[in-house]
Order: sequence, then structure tokens, then C-alpha cells
Amino acid sequence: MENSNSYSPYSSSSVDSTKPSPSESSVNLSLSLTFPSTSSQRETSQDWPPIKPRLRDTLKSLRLRLRQRGYNTALFVKVYMEGVPIGRKLDLSTFSGYKSLLENLSHMFDTSVICGTRDRKHHVLTYQDKDGDWMMVGDIPWDMFLETVRRLKITRPERC
Amino acid sequence: MNYFPDEVIEHVFDFVTSHKDRNSISLVCKSWFKIERYSRQNVFIGNCYSISPERLLRRFPCFKSLTLKGKPHFADFNLVPHGWGGFVQPWIEALARSRVGLEELRLKRMVVTDEGLELLSRSFVNFKSLVLVSCEGFSTDGLASIASNCRHLRDLDLQENEIDDHRGQWLSCFPETYTSLVTLNFACLEGETNLVALERLVARSPNLRSLKLNRAVPLDALARLMACAPQIVDLGVGSYEDEQDSESCLKLQAAIRKCTSLRSLSGFLEAAPHCLSAFHPVCHNLTSLNLSYAAEIHGSHLIKLIEHCKKLQRLWILDSIGDKGLEVVASTCKELQELRVFPTDLHGGGNTAVTEDGLVAISAGCPKLHSILYFCQQMTNAALITVARNCPNFIRFRLCILEPHKPDHVTSQPLDEGFGAIVQACKNLKRLSVSGLLTDQVFLYIGMFATQLEMLSIAFAGDTDKGMLYVLNGCKKMRKLEIRDSPFGDAALLADVNKYETMRSLWMSSCEVTLGGCKRLARKAPWLNVEIINENDNNRMEENGYEGRQKVDNKLYLYRTVVGTRVDAPPFVWIL
Repeated sequence: MENSNSYSPYSSSSVDSTKPSPSESSVNLSLSLTFPSTSSQRETSQDWPPIKPRLRDTLKSLRLRLRQRGYNTALFVKVYMEGVPIGRKLDLSTFSGYKSLLENLSHMFDTSVICGTRDRKHHVLTYQDKDGDWMMVGDIPWDMFLETVRRLKITRPERC
Repeated sequence: MNYFPDEVIEHVFDFVTSHKDRNSISLVCKSWFKIERYSRQNVFIGNCYSISPERLLRRFPCFKSLTLKGKPHFADFNLVPHGWGGFVQPWIEALARSRVGLEELRLKRMVVTDEGLELLSRSFVNFKSLVLVSCEGFSTDGLASIASNCRHLRDLDLQENEIDDHRGQWLSCFPETYTSLVTLNFACLEGETNLVALERLVARSPNLRSLKLNRAVPLDALARLMACAPQIVDLGVGSYEDEQDSESCLKLQAAIRKCTSLRSLSGFLEAAPHCLSAFHPVCHNLTSLNLSYAAEIHGSHLIKLIEHCKKLQRLWILDSIGDKGLEVVASTCKELQELRVFPTDLHGGGNTAVTEDGLVAISAGCPKLHSILYFCQQMTNAALITVARNCPNFIRFRLCILEPHKPDHVTSQPLDEGFGAIVQACKNLKRLSVSGLLTDQVFLYIGMFATQLEMLSIAFAGDTDKGMLYVLNGCKKMRKLEIRDSPFGDAALLADVNKYETMRSLWMSSCEVTLGGCKRLARKAPWLNVEIINENDNNRMEENGYEGRQKVDNKLYLYRTVVGTRVDAPPFVWIL
């Protein structure tokens, strides 16, 4: 339990019950006022925010329909560079595919970001899907990726 | 009163309808207890596991209406695994065996089966009213039994249920001679609807007041239905495709104009952006408007509609209406009593549709507001303090800030002071949901000021056991406490075991309570059912002799009961 006198910037409540994200918790704790791993669990989970299943389904199918019709539904996700506590936010709906995403990220973080298998030299892009699992970017079709991606993380070269 | 014959006393009791009052009456003396027992018409059971049908029938042999609730509230948000319980079958069987003249059955969050519905339809000659809310386990075959066999049915009201739609002909199962329908709500059915059968049913139901259609009922069918039933008071529109041919639209507009009794509008499940204008002629009479599923309608169209609704008392809407839209509501709907604003963006996309400004505007403009449910991305203490000052009459105040632990976005402080102001000003507050960054301090305020509070929902809040203790010690009228993802543990849970006798139930998930603590509680309070729910476990916890210090993984649900451990619990529920 954290300090009991003044409020703690981060409630320790859910630490044990969420899937620990190894680099996240150590990197982002210091400055972030939310618990990244907790809030991302909530973002991906089916039990938060507290709305009924019918509304949840309605909103999901709405987003799908709008996107099918070519409407620009914003899809902001958080992007963290491993080792950097402060992340960025990126609207994925503005990219046409993985190539433009990588180009943009490389530019944003001033380094070379790639998809695919580990490479000693380059930063590899990973994402957290709606089940909460961390995956390599690039394996699935772009449209499917948009449906399932919840946040992005650019890993250090050796880690993957 | 002892000098009056029983019939006179009974007649007086007939005027007392609230459950609480009747419960109080029955405690006055033995004679009153007996008279009240035999004359109670409506029985309300808030937790189906708190009592058995046999004991119910022993106490109240003559009731006509039964309301039963099953799963705890958080089941609405997928927190209770499938198969947990809440089966209505034993109740229907027991009632069918007895000679009770059941006329009305209202179920919430229960598991209903087709066999149960069939038994229900055959067992009670005078059965009039079936209301199912958030139930599951049955199909349209069960509805067919009800339609076929309940000669005097008045109400068939299906709200937000999970119904297996066999696309059968349940609507045509209502006999041709059947004309007593008053309420028909099948909005939650996903499949095709027999439009011909529906139109014929509506045409021969002169008493029909409430009709809520599902998404399979298109625009032209709607026009015909409304033309058949101009006396309609409560309408749920089904599907509303993009610009139909102008003839359909004209027919619809003509039909709508004739519905001068229309007071309540809902649905628009698949609604095209421009469709609302057809309803403008009836808006000035509307008292209730539910557009919470009309996700495709742009804020500007919502606003144009609401500008006509001066008599609105209840409004359920999506946050796409925006702060500007809420300002229009505030200046137009002076009779507003209940407002619910639901989120459209679940992932914190960054577009702040409604903010604290919208909430403040509503509180300033709507003097009769007493119930609110508000989803938003951000809030401030200053706004909440202003809201509390503007609206000291809240009975229900539920605020859900979408991002857990989010502080006041201007000062970065916790929202303790804001919620504190709410509970201090609103002396009649019965229901409260808190969110955002909150410390133990907010619970100190709640325990101190929320004297009438009956239901409290806590998520991602508090620092220590003290928070929960403030609430348990202070809120004397607490009935339902539900907590998730908050650092409350055994010390709070075990401090006052007798408190739980005054409450219906306590829910704690992803908190700090341990197995050992729960076991100790179960030992101290044998009149409680203490359930540990873990859908990934199937009782391995029990077999492996889990250490007492192990944190409960991950849900604790406890409730008072007079009938002991329930026998229908699935393997993943461990009752201590």
C-alpha cells in the first residue's frame, strides 16, 4: 500500500490483478498520474467503462460502419518509446497502412522504427491488442490491426 | 385500531402500497402482521437468494405480483461470469405448485428458460404482466408460449434481454380473439419480425399504450403501425433507414401528427441522421426521450429535436450532443428531472464531447433535476461544487469519468472536495457513483454527510481501509455497496460484521481482501452467504488449500440470507 497521509498519485489497488507489462510499470510510474497498465487493461476490457453490453455493441458496430463508409473516425492511441516516460498520442486513422505509420513514428521519435523480427540495430514497433497482449506490429492486415490495437510501444533494439 | 374488524383494517392497508411501509405495518403487532400477510398483493424480493419460494409462500399466500432480482448490479458490466446463478425456474415451479393467483412477474438480471416460460403461461389463468429486464437464457419459443396461452395478457415488456431469436412466428401465436394488449416491447430482439402478424396484432389492440419495436421493423411498417394505433403513448422506433421514398416519409409524418397522446419516444436503433425531423410535431408533448442508441445521429439534429421538447422530464442521450447541446437542454427543458449522458468514445480518443461545463449548465438551468448519470472525460472540483450549489435536490448522482484515477484537470487535485460538496448539499441523496482520482478523504465526507445513502458504487478510488470504514460506519441506510479496483482489505471488511445484516449485499472485486479474511467473516456471520467468484479457477483454490493470506482472486460477493448456502452455485463459485 502506498503512503496513507497525502494522496498517492497512483493507487496501488490493481497492481496484482493486472497483467504486468514489464517495461511499462518501471518506466512510466514516475511522471504519469495514471497507472498505465491499469488504464490500458480498462481500455481493452469489456468491463470498463460501466456501460451495458447493448450500448457497447452499438458503439462498436457504429465505428465499423462509419469506417466502412469512409468516415474519419479518429483512433487515438498512446505511443511510448521504451526508456522515455512521457508518451505521445497518435491518430491511427490518418495513416493508410503500416508504411506510413512507421514513417511517421520514425520522424516523431527521431530514430528508425521498423516492423518485424528483432534487429540489433533498429527500434521495433509493438502493440497491445484488445486482449491486453503485446504483439509484433505487421502480422495482420492493416484494417484488422486498427480494430484491435489499443496502444503502441517502440522497443529498445535488443529487447525483442 | 384494535376495535375495528379485520376487514376494515385490511381496507385501510389497501391504501398502503410501498413495500417499506407495509413492512413497517407488519411489525406493529401480531394482529396487524396477520392481516398484512394475507392482504399483501405485491411482493418485492431484491435478492432471489435471500429467501426461498417456499418461505415466501408461507408468509404471503395471496400475492398477485412478484418482483425478483438475481445477479448483482455489476453483472451489467460483464463482471459476473456466465452461469453464476439467478435461476428463476425453482420460483416458477414452486408458484405453479401452490395455489397463488399470480398476475404479474417482474424479473431483473435473472436466468429464464423456455421451459419456465411455458410453465408460467400454463399455470396462472389470470396472468397479465411479464416484465423481463436484463435477463437471459430463453428464446422466442418461450415468448410463443406466453403469446399462445396467456389469455389475459396485458404487458409483455422485454428490456435489454439476451434472447435467442429463432426467427419464429411468436407474434402470430397471439390468438385472433386476443385483444387486450397494452404494452408490447420487443426492442431487444435481433432477428426478423413477422410484420404482417405485428400489424394485425396492433390493429386489434385498442388498449395498446406502449409499443417498442426492434430494428427489423422498417419505416413504412412504422407508418402503418402508427396509423393503426394513434392512441399510443410510448413509442420505440425500430429501424430508420436512410432517406426513404418521399411517399413513405409523408405517410409517416401524417401518422405521427395523429398521435396526439404520444408522450415517450425511444429506439432509433439504426437511425439515419436526418430522420428526427418527422417527429418535431409531437415534441411539445413529450415527457420522455431516449436517444441513447441513436449513435449515428449528429449532435446538431439532436439539438434541433430537443429545442421543441419543452415539457421533457426524462432525457437519455449520447455525449455527441456536446456541451453546446446540453446548454440547449438547460434553456429548453425546464421540467427536466432525470438526465443520462452516455459515452460514444470508449477509448479516450481525445475528443471531449461533454465536459464539466455541460454538467454545470444543466444544473443551473434545470431546477427540478434529481437524477443524473453523466459519462465524461474530465471534471473539476469547482464544477462539482457549483453543481452542488445549484442542485441540492439530487436523489441519484452518478458521475463516471472515463479514465480511472483522473484528477481535476485544472488543478491536478483529487476530486474529493467536489464529491464532498455534492453529499453535503444533497440531503436526500440515495444513490451515488464516484470516479476520478479520489483519496480516503472523499469517503470521510460520504460517511459524514450522506445519511440517506442506500447505494454506493466505487471504482479505482481510495487509499486505505479507512476509506471503506468511513462509509460502513457512517452511512446508516446503506443497502448495496459495490466496489472494484480499490485498496480496501480485511480490516475494513471485518470491522463490523453486523453491519452486513442491515445491507442487502456487498461486492468487492480486485480489492485487497484475502481469502483468510473472507473465511473469518463467513465464520463470524453464518447468516451471510460469502461467495468467492473466479471464473478461471473452478475450485482449484479450495482443493489446493490456498493460503489464507492469498488475495481474493478476484471477486467477493456477500449477501444476507435466511435460507443458507444456495445449492445451484457453479464450480467457479466458492461459498465459504
